[in-house]
Amino acid sequence: MTLERVDARVATQTLVVFFENSSIGELARDRIRRLASKHPSRVVILDAAQSESMHRIEGSDWVELGVSGTPPEALRSAVDTLRVADTPVVLLWIAPGIGTDPRFEMLCDGVQTVVYNSSLLDLGHEALCELVDYVARHPAIPITDIAYLRLAPWQECVAIFFDGKDVAELAAVRRVEIGCGSDPEAFYLLGWLASRLGWTPSENDALVDRSGNRINFEIRREGDPRRIARIAISSSRATFSAEIDKSEPTILLSVTGPDRHATRYRAINDPGIAALVERAILRGRKDKVFHDALAAAGEILAKQRN
Amino acid sequence: MPDEATATATVSGDGAAANPLREGLATERIANPCSVVFFGASGDLFKRMLLPAVYSMRLNGTLPTDFALIGFARTAYTDDAFREYCRKQLELFMPDGSKPQGAMWDDFARRISYITADFNNTSHFKDLKKRLEQNDRDFGTRGNHLFYLSTPPSVFPVIIKQLKAAGLEKDPQGWTRIVVEKPFGTDLASARTLQRAIEAVFPENEIYRIDHYLGKEPVQDIIALRFANTIFEPIWNRNYVQNVQITSAESLGVEERGGYYDSAGALRDMIQNHVINLLALVAMEPPISSNADDIRGEKYKVLSAIDPPAHTDVWSMSARGQYGPGAIDGRAVKGYRQEPDVAPDSNTETFAAAMLFVQNWRWAGVPFYLRSGKRLPRKVSEIAVTFKPIPHRFYGESTDQIEPNVLVIKIEPDEGISMRFEAKVPGPEEHVRSVYMDFNYGSGFGVQSPPAYERLIGDAILGDQTLFTRWDAVERAWEIVTPILEVWQNTKDFTFPNYAAGSQGPESARKLFPDWRHI
Repeated sequence: MTLERVDARVATQTLVVFFENSSIGELARDRIRRLASKHPSRVVILDAAQSESMHRIEGSDWVELGVSGTPPEALRSAVDTLRVADTPVVLLWIAPGIGTDPRFEMLCDGVQTVVYNSSLLDLGHEALCELVDYVARHPAIPITDIAYLRLAPWQECVAIFFDGKDVAELAAVRRVEIGCGSDPEAFYLLGWLASRLGWTPSENDALVDRSGNRINFEIRREGDPRRIARIAISSSRATFSAEIDKSEPTILLSVTGPDRHATRYRAINDPGIAALVERAILRGRKDKVFHDALAAAGEILAKQRN
Repeated sequence: MPDEATATATVSGDGAAANPLREGLATERIANPCSVVFFGASGDLFKRMLLPAVYSMRLNGTLPTDFALIGFARTAYTDDAFREYCRKQLELFMPDGSKPQGAMWDDFARRISYITADFNNTSHFKDLKKRLEQNDRDFGTRGNHLFYLSTPPSVFPVIIKQLKAAGLEKDPQGWTRIVVEKPFGTDLASARTLQRAIEAVFPENEIYRIDHYLGKEPVQDIIALRFANTIFEPIWNRNYVQNVQITSAESLGVEERGGYYDSAGALRDMIQNHVINLLALVAMEPPISSNADDIRGEKYKVLSAIDPPAHTDVWSMSARGQYGPGAIDGRAVKGYRQEPDVAPDSNTETFAAAMLFVQNWRWAGVPFYLRSGKRLPRKVSEIAVTFKPIPHRFYGESTDQIEPNVLVIKIEPDEGISMRFEAKVPGPEEHVRSVYMDFNYGSGFGVQSPPAYERLIGDAILGDQTLFTRWDAVERAWEIVTPILEVWQNTKDFTFPNYAAGSQGPESARKLFPDWRHI
């Protein structure tokens, strides 16, 4: 007979999840369960669609509270009581209004990571603008955006184009076209390019590089929500295109021009929302590249709004 | 908006302009485009480990997009037949969800080619050169070539000589690197001969001696445990440590490897490389950086502080064994001498243990006990650091045993860290008992460690030698085990087989050290 040790599990973080839309809440519960099965967590669900009379506890590490009408201070107090001592607290805010909702500011206090999703509610670029404004007013907030993290395979593909000798072409880029099913991802991708390459917005459809050369850009609604469909970057000599292959989770990479290149493929490895939240927790807090991209996207959007 | 540093393409160490878009990406350390040539591509290691590792890298995006794979071996295949062979092996050895299919496989497959080769025929290596040049044109591999020697070691010098003869030791357009599988030699003399053959063609910074143990996540975590925490380092020395036990035990026998194993034995197969590498990581001083040569330099210093046992001390500082028939997991298993391709009067040890001392300020007087064996009760690899007993007990007449603290770094099959300490049993009486504080990678991070070969092949393509063994360390490890090897070889052990399969090992090991942890 073999005696096996009990597989003890200890929460390594407290996940606080706030939402006020029931259908989003159901989706969020499913994803959070997946995440918590990977990173042992105490999960505190704050369901603003439910009245305060609702509360549900599963085991020792899953707590749901109805918080409709609950004052911000009471929300924070509840989290302080329920959090696992000496472990980081992660706030997943799945609602609009981060700039105006006092509950958001109150819940952010003392939290190690805030995870936001500017494209979840499909508010055009409003949610992104709100994030830009909030971060400008609270530069120390340890926030990251799922919409930005979704770009990873596209950033990789764009970077691949310019590894090695083709890096020189970056100085000669004159046009960028992005097709995307939602605005935030598209502006993040453009903002990321601009921030890495020193481009600044000059008009509502153009940027300039540090030598004063004009770079036209175009963003089109195309493909599935929250998904990039394609990006084409053109220099005076070549066009570098990355495009989704709808039949498979693959991006096709092609280069036209004098240094033509055979089509290449790259797996998208769509990680799912749980994995993106995980990524946000692991590397989101001090991601300077994200903050640069966000600031650049904000400047581009500001030019468009003017 | 960016500052100057992030916006400008800088020049990297190898003279190529750095890509400013790489900063902050998950694959910030992007591997260069390259062709990888697998010598011995029709063998077992390639199909079970290397090919799945490369395809998995392809799927998870860590392989460069501009990539090509060339198989080079004696078995006759056309390019298409070899692609089909690869597809079948991947069907067998890749997990569900990662089987070869669709555009990803088609793209991977068209980058695979094969050369049926006689390793003694220079013209076949010239064919390889042409194929590499063709890959540079077709797949943009830019003259970067990784040669992976997964053949029997006896062929290594021949391949290296032929690479030179065909002008493949260097490419004016890119880098050339060579990965050498273990064992690196069969003794000190043969290791030096092999090294001379390699260094006549490749400089040290192009040689990647692989020990797949070093690619395992918990092995890398030894460095993090020691140098990313403050609580361990102050007590990591002779003042607090009673002894260190390093165990690499297997429940398997020699399986299909009887022919090889009978000429090798446990000392060569495990102690000289895996186990001594673990010792170096546990005992080394803090490196000044995570740079490959800073870490490898510290590892070498530790090994150079170990005095090889004098021939006259071998019997008091080591123990050997050979398994006889017994039972594992409730099943009867045969003895070593009954295994296929093993001599019926074999003198080869299937169990080896040694006591070594690191003669430096930190470790003077602390014994390091190393053991490795086959057909032990279960598979376990671990490092156990046993701390000194308390200096004074104030529990009066209590009969409770107060055990020393033990920190166990678990490598296989569990991956994690366990700490044993004493705690008071609740109640009015003064009783203490041992309790354990466990960290497991599985529950702590909820992620599977990447397979060692995936990590190591990726590092070789990236040019990161941290997890590969430098020649000075390989040579020193051979110097340490050589006296034991010589005495054992020259002395027939008439007690063999001296431990039953499924037991804790031979009695001689218990005489060497009575307090081995139970396997």
